Amino acid sequence: MERVKELVELIHSLAPKDRKVKIMNVCGSHEHTIAYSGLRSLMPETVELVPGPGCPVCVCSESDVINAINLSKRPDVILCTYGDMLRVPTRVGSIRSNGGNYRMISAPHEVLKIARENPDKKVVFFSIGFETTTAPTAALLEMGVPENLFILTSQKLTPEIMEVLVKDSEVGVDAFVAPGHVSAIVGSNAWRVFPENYGIPTVVAGFEPENLLLAIVRILYQLREGKAELENVYRGVVKPEGNRKAQELMYKYFEKADVNWRGIGNIPKSGLEFRPEYSYLNAKVVFNLPEIKEEKIPGCICDRVVLGKAYPTDCKLYGTACTPRNPKGPCMVSLEGACNIWFRSGVKTA
Amino acid sequence: MKKVEIGHGSGGKLTRELIEEVFLKHFNFPELHTLQDATYLPGFQKIAVTTDSYVVRPLFFPGGNIGKLSISGTVNDLTVSGALPHYITVGFIVEEGLPIETLERVVSSMAETALSAGVKIVAGDTKVVEKGKCDGIYINTAGVGRVVRELSPKLVKPGDKIIVTGFVGDHGIAISLAREEFEVETPVESDCAPLNSLLTPLFELPGLRFMRDPTRGGLATVLVELSESSNLGIRVYESEIPVRESVRFICDMLGYDPLYLANEGKAVVVVSEEDTGRALEILKSHPLGRDAAVIGEVVENPGVVLITSVGGERRLELLEEDPLPRIC
Repeated sequence: MERVKELVELIHSLAPKDRKVKIMNVCGSHEHTIAYSGLRSLMPETVELVPGPGCPVCVCSESDVINAINLSKRPDVILCTYGDMLRVPTRVGSIRSNGGNYRMISAPHEVLKIARENPDKKVVFFSIGFETTTAPTAALLEMGVPENLFILTSQKLTPEIMEVLVKDSEVGVDAFVAPGHVSAIVGSNAWRVFPENYGIPTVVAGFEPENLLLAIVRILYQLREGKAELENVYRGVVKPEGNRKAQELMYKYFEKADVNWRGIGNIPKSGLEFRPEYSYLNAKVVFNLPEIKEEKIPGCICDRVVLGKAYPTDCKLYGTACTPRNPKGPCMVSLEGACNIWFRSGVKTA
Repeated sequence: MKKVEIGHGSGGKLTRELIEEVFLKHFNFPELHTLQDATYLPGFQKIAVTTDSYVVRPLFFPGGNIGKLSISGTVNDLTVSGALPHYITVGFIVEEGLPIETLERVVSSMAETALSAGVKIVAGDTKVVEKGKCDGIYINTAGVGRVVRELSPKLVKPGDKIIVTGFVGDHGIAISLAREEFEVETPVESDCAPLNSLLTPLFELPGLRFMRDPTRGGLATVLVELSESSNLGIRVYESEIPVRESVRFICDMLGYDPLYLANEGKAVVVVSEEDTGRALEILKSHPLGRDAAVIGEVVENPGVVLITSVGGERRLELLEEDPLPRIC
């Protein structure tokens, strides 16, 4: 507590008096800590903590979700995916509301058991997420999978979307808090491009409030000194080179591809798709799935929330038409979505 | 192995056997043994009445079972209302095919809990439904108690202190762990227990204002409802709220908030500032209240504000959805 007090005092003394500083996190768990520990209430007026694209469920393209829904309605298929994905809304409802043949899983390896127990069905694992879920999926493939198991991938890459953000002048990010879990896989060096090419201070942080406050102190210090460097305050877990073994496995099965981000559009080389030699595992190829053009959800501003251009409370649906129980947009569905976190942590409508 | 058959609910010979071999064997209360349609009981001037139904899944969990839960829950509802619990009725809805032995384990646990709480089970009923129509056993209870202190949110005043009688979140986590196959080194037990012996000594404190057992919805829900019904505000300090390290760890892992998790053996007590010391003393002298703590105070401005462990502020609101259904 003493240490926390010191850090908060440092933040107040380092914060600029004459201009706003926008510090973006790109991780649902960081936003969770900020909201649940009330860190925003401890910040000086000039320091803004902005949630960025930290929720893989929120950015999963509508096309991928609709394809998953359609697969779940086939009598010969069992669709497996994470709990949050079952409730993501699309123009044709959610996986759950369509009532097809689906199973909720909490970890990738659970699909092996489902595939083995249902040899007469085609089991499709709808594998979504950032690097933290791609690595376990690759590890699963490496173990060898039953012939009736296929993967519908919607894997996204964090550094690539951050690069989109820094190039978007409307966002106006002054600094990044880089995600600890993703960094453990890709390595802190993956963020070097931001200070070096764009002059944006970037600090890798863990998930304890104190660690996040320390990252903010380091960012404000850099900004005051006019520096832009890569720092890591989560050293026990994150190494500069990351987890080489996990990276090798990921790129053995997958390669970078242009993929669609919900509400944002197609971003070159921002996701992972199967390498052609593994097409036999790729549900998109095996079931010949089409790419479906996205339809915007009326009134929903999730796309702007994901990019840090708007706060959840800027949306006129927030807390009224759109709640965790009855979500209209993807950011209200996932426990990692900014709208859902804000709502559950007690932030009322603006 | 003997199993519950549809005939056990017929009202005939099998029913009679079940009553004698399972229920009366354990529910050794003379009032009940008259086996009439209603039981005659001596009354009181002012009585408190409560009813509750129990549908927990699984039926047995670390620290308790549906039977212990049903008696504890009923006793606790009466006690936090300022009443001394006296009589309980029990209604069973049993699924065909349930091993009689399982039913008996539940029934004997109910008897044991009733005896330890000093309450009598004085009327009962059993229905059997077809296999698949219920989840083993459902229990409905009614409880009657003699009112000693009338407590109400309307008695609460700014400056009053909020006490919680021990670690929060244990029951919710115990149920969650009993359902899922997580490998956890330190298992968490449900706190399920009758609280009348812990709480009734507080009735003598003139400054006792209000009590509530934070079951479904947890501590946060009780505080929000208290704020709404008293039209006052509450400030609570995260660092003062007792949460077991293991519960905190599992909450982090599963994305639960311990403040919203169910408890079945805890109470929130609101007491005047003057009587706070005495209340804590009474609670801490009892094994179930050893970890009691003052967690906050009542203030003028409505709403519940949590001062987080790092000193930030967070508003507590009602949850939209129970994170874990069928917990009690």
